[in-house]
Amino acid sequence: MFYQPKSIGAALDRKAELRERGVFLAGGTDLVVLMNAGKATPEHFIDLSHVPELRTINRRNGTIELAGNVTHAQCGKLPVQCLAQASMSVGGPGIRELGTIAGNIATASPAGDGSTALLALDAEVELTSVRGVRTMPLEKFFVSYRKTALAPDEMITKVTIPTDYQSAWLKNGKRGAVNISVVAVAVAQPSRLQPERPQAGRLCNEIRIALASVAPFPVRCHKAEAVFAKGGDIRQVAETVREEIKPISDHRASADYKTHLAGVMVRRLLENLT
Amino acid sequence: MKKTVAAVYDRRKNKATTRRSQSAATAAWALAFTLNGKRVSKKVKPTQTLLDFLRIEMGLTGTKGACEEGECGSCYVLVDGKPMNSCMMLAPQVQDREVVTIEGLAKGKRLDVIQQKFIECGAVQCGYCTPGLILAAKALLKDNPHPSREEFLVGMEGNICRCTGYNKILRACELAADELGLKK
Amino acid sequence: MTTAKSSSAYETGPMKVVGTGALRLDALGKVTGATKYGQDLFSKKFLFAKVLRAAHPHAEITGIDTRAAKKLPGVVAVLTHKDVAGTNLHGLIRRDQEALCSTKVRYLGDAIAIVVAKNEATAVEALKHIRVDYKPLPAVFNFDDAFKPDAPKIHAEGNVLGEKHLRKGDAAKAMSEAEVVVEDWIQTQTCDHAFLDLEAGRAKWDGKMLVIEVPGQWIHEECRLIALALGLPVEKVRIIQPATGGAFGGREDISIQIYLGLCALKLKGETICMRYSRSESMVVRHKRHPIRIHYKLGAKKDGTLVAAQIKFYVDKGAYASTGIAVMRKASSHATGPYKVPNISVDVIGVFTNNNPCGAMRGFGAAQTAIAYEGLMDRLAVKLGMDKAELRHKNLVKSGDEVTTGQVVPYATAVECFDAVLKKIDWKNRSYATPAPHLKRGYGVSIVCFGLGYGDGFPDASRARCRLMPDGIIEVYSSACDVGQGLINMIAQIAAEEIGVRLEKVRPVLADTMRTPEAGSSSATRQTYFTGSAVHIAAAELKKQLQDIAGTHLKELVYEIKIVDGKAFNYLHPGKRMTLKEIAREGKRRGYSLEALGVYKPPTMPENTATGQSLRAFVTYLFGSHACQLLVDTETGEVKIERYIACHDVGKAINPDQVIGQIQGGVTMGIGMALMEEVVKKNGRILNAGFTDYIVPTIRDVPEIECIVLENPDPGGPFGARGIGEPPLIGCGPAILSAIHDAIGKPIRELPATPERVWRTLAADHP
Repeated sequence: MFYQPKSIGAALDRKAELRERGVFLAGGTDLVVLMNAGKATPEHFIDLSHVPELRTINRRNGTIELAGNVTHAQCGKLPVQCLAQASMSVGGPGIRELGTIAGNIATASPAGDGSTALLALDAEVELTSVRGVRTMPLEKFFVSYRKTALAPDEMITKVTIPTDYQSAWLKNGKRGAVNISVVAVAVAQPSRLQPERPQAGRLCNEIRIALASVAPFPVRCHKAEAVFAKGGDIRQVAETVREEIKPISDHRASADYKTHLAGVMVRRLLENLT
Repeated sequence: MKKTVAAVYDRRKNKATTRRSQSAATAAWALAFTLNGKRVSKKVKPTQTLLDFLRIEMGLTGTKGACEEGECGSCYVLVDGKPMNSCMMLAPQVQDREVVTIEGLAKGKRLDVIQQKFIECGAVQCGYCTPGLILAAKALLKDNPHPSREEFLVGMEGNICRCTGYNKILRACELAADELGLKK
Repeated sequence: MTTAKSSSAYETGPMKVVGTGALRLDALGKVTGATKYGQDLFSKKFLFAKVLRAAHPHAEITGIDTRAAKKLPGVVAVLTHKDVAGTNLHGLIRRDQEALCSTKVRYLGDAIAIVVAKNEATAVEALKHIRVDYKPLPAVFNFDDAFKPDAPKIHAEGNVLGEKHLRKGDAAKAMSEAEVVVEDWIQTQTCDHAFLDLEAGRAKWDGKMLVIEVPGQWIHEECRLIALALGLPVEKVRIIQPATGGAFGGREDISIQIYLGLCALKLKGETICMRYSRSESMVVRHKRHPIRIHYKLGAKKDGTLVAAQIKFYVDKGAYASTGIAVMRKASSHATGPYKVPNISVDVIGVFTNNNPCGAMRGFGAAQTAIAYEGLMDRLAVKLGMDKAELRHKNLVKSGDEVTTGQVVPYATAVECFDAVLKKIDWKNRSYATPAPHLKRGYGVSIVCFGLGYGDGFPDASRARCRLMPDGIIEVYSSACDVGQGLINMIAQIAAEEIGVRLEKVRPVLADTMRTPEAGSSSATRQTYFTGSAVHIAAAELKKQLQDIAGTHLKELVYEIKIVDGKAFNYLHPGKRMTLKEIAREGKRRGYSLEALGVYKPPTMPENTATGQSLRAFVTYLFGSHACQLLVDTETGEVKIERYIACHDVGKAINPDQVIGQIQGGVTMGIGMALMEEVVKKNGRILNAGFTDYIVPTIRDVPEIECIVLENPDPGGPFGARGIGEPPLIGCGPAILSAIHDAIGKPIRELPATPERVWRTLAADHP
């Protein structure tokens, strides 16, 4: 059966009833591609494309609340550098109008562009079901390769990000556009933690570094972040990133190249962060 | 876990609406939307992609499919003015929306400016990417009548062409923008 | 412009139609979505077919059980080799490929059975119910393994498809006496054509004949192959080419024609259709030959080339396809545009359990060009000489011999090269970059490419022109327009020759029942061959029209001119006759109002031992490219800043279309140089889709500056040669030359992805 609820409540009711047998359809850019390849044959669909509450963007108390079905195109216009750039680096215009952040997070691809940017922004995800609402840091949401903490009756209803982080994004692909990243990096610095003398690459005492395509899911480089917090310079931070990550070799690129690239990209982002 | 569901989301009033557009007895979906300016009502298999629906059920073969992965843009249609890859959409997703395909651009014998410029600039070779590109340009120029070169690239980076090398396509879009700009 | 074939001996002044950028005759349908390609011919009323493919790259088939599949509701038929009445074999040179495999599969794209069902979903489901028993055999996936004496035999006669040899002068002696020698290896990659219009079409037995509507490149040859395979007389097979979305050599081999023909024969009266998905298309279709080239070049201290010794190791894949011809094109172009008095070439092609390799734009010459230009760069470095100067010293000029010993009477390699060097301002090129990690490089290449098949192959094109009662000129040709704009080339030539406006010409293309055979849309031959056939037919028809008009107007036939569709005596124009009136008068007097043109220029086969031939190809095409790019030395990424391509086309029948072909060919060359690669593991393609088979987007292509030279060829229509393949052939070498210039090290393996460039930079050895 195909369901097209008009509200979050109705969608949640249906999901509670169907659980794993009913899949959410957000933009369809992951699910329908799998269906085209014969790799997915859901029994029931809960189409969220007609739930207006899931497309809203609200500012509240120094944060931006993105409802689950906000598209990459919408995110591309936000005044949050790394998320806007990451969103505009997704596919082409058509995919950006279809794909959603909740879909991106729920698919939990290791190369998820939006997910990686959100990680660097200390994003919080709100998960809702008929049983209630809970929130968790996005980092806790990714459990293992393409597996998340989403319960069978839950929906990602909101992603909350701060407005006062200085951030940037860099993605490396095999051509000029429409790439699954070889490596992608998002860095962010919470500007409220300003040091006395901000300098290039060091606008505050803390940093967030998130990488795509170097692990089973997008990850934060906590060791490198700690080096930065202790006063390490850009070169040291980049080196620590290289030591910390353990990418695999696949048909896109080899592990040693990805490792090298990650260090270069982190270094460049920090050098240009002002 | 917070038990504030009832306060945050009022489920009760919305429960009835999910049943409205479905046939409870079969799995078919009663699709109703606007296609190239005309209202369409048709029962569809909900797992049919929008691309197959347009081509097979509606006989509009102008929208093409070349990759089934959203990588090539040849399946572009406009949904409420926005470009979308119809090969990765299920038909019911356009319920109550306005969809425009390549067949909907010309008004009788009068071609859209973009179509005209594609012909004049020699931007058409095998023609398979052409409908998708014209719609991408249409969406871009509607929102932004004077795109910079970078904005053109952003608007067209989702379309693959294997024949022309893109140079003439870009020229056609630039000339179309100029002409549309003059009209305003 | 007068040529020997033109009957307009008294014509003077500029041409009116040829040489103009006339708008494409088929563009309107394409921009409105009205044009019908293969898949657009489907209807829900038709039956759908799907093919079951091999489960192993190399295996014996011990049993095929289709009973369960046949029982599925909605399944109309399940066909195997047992249902094929003819030879069940096809292949463009050697008929070695079974349409439906009977005893053995040799690659994962081999076909075992066809399901015909009421709809596609049922057909797909039914495939799962066909049971095939295999005895897997050891398989080989690269040249070296396939060439070992104890390698598993893919074909009964062994794994060597064939060899090609070329001997000119005494290369071994000359090399030993050379003052400077450079030597290296190049490995090119497997490429996919990646045309957008996936294989699709329909077929029906209409009571008298099999009618197949599937896009190909040579519809008459396809008819013959289908007829032989299915056991039909060739007159009972009709192919009508639908609008075609690209080919690039990828429709040269049989694709779905025999499958559909078989289904239509078994289910007479029904229309059966079939389409490939992108992954099926990539898994099944033939690919560009990956070739390892060992190249040794010897020269004097002043840079004059004296010797070349080259070995090509070709991975042929599972079936012969056009491999021998590709190998031969590689060998006959082994020294490209350079004069080398002593040459030794050995090419060996070996079967593997990978996809069969066949035609793809460039056809062996693209791979070869990467090698000879790469070695010229290495020689320049070793000599401490400017690489443009080294090339100038050795370029063939009019009257020189090329690799095969054929004398090229009119060579414009130098003119093309000078044109790009001037445009890029070679003498003042700057290496200053915005940042220290960015390095700039400049690359050049020169193309010298034989047009057509050559080698004594009896290639011809035929065309017919007819004057219709309404004054329209119809031109009949089986030439397949696959997107390149052949429809305009034909119409413009006919219009120019007869003396009418372009709107008065109606090309009728590619229906074996109505149009004469034109040969393949490949080998950059259609303008030269079909253009000439059309030109000859139009000239012949014009003579008839002049006869009718002259007699009717009571004027000397030889003084009749036709301008804008009106015939008159050009010396005293007063009385005139329109084409419509000529048609009426001609019909009244029993004229056919029709003329056939045949163009069949001979070539001479290359000597088996020496590869030499006085006329290996009908003519040669020259061109040159220059490329300016930046390499990010930390990431290996390459950004092309400027690209210039110059091609001598003899005469640009439609200059706009010529530029479109140059830009398209360069773009495909950028793909081959920097990003395209079919990744295989144990015969399985890992990137059978557009997500990971990467072709250039609009962001990967700079403005491609084109210079078109027109030095007429006496054998071509209005002096025209061709343009299809040379722009791709010149591109890869120019880009690699520029990368070498930027980083100081050559890239040996294609594509030069960022990772490969980075790895080359990081490596210790040069």
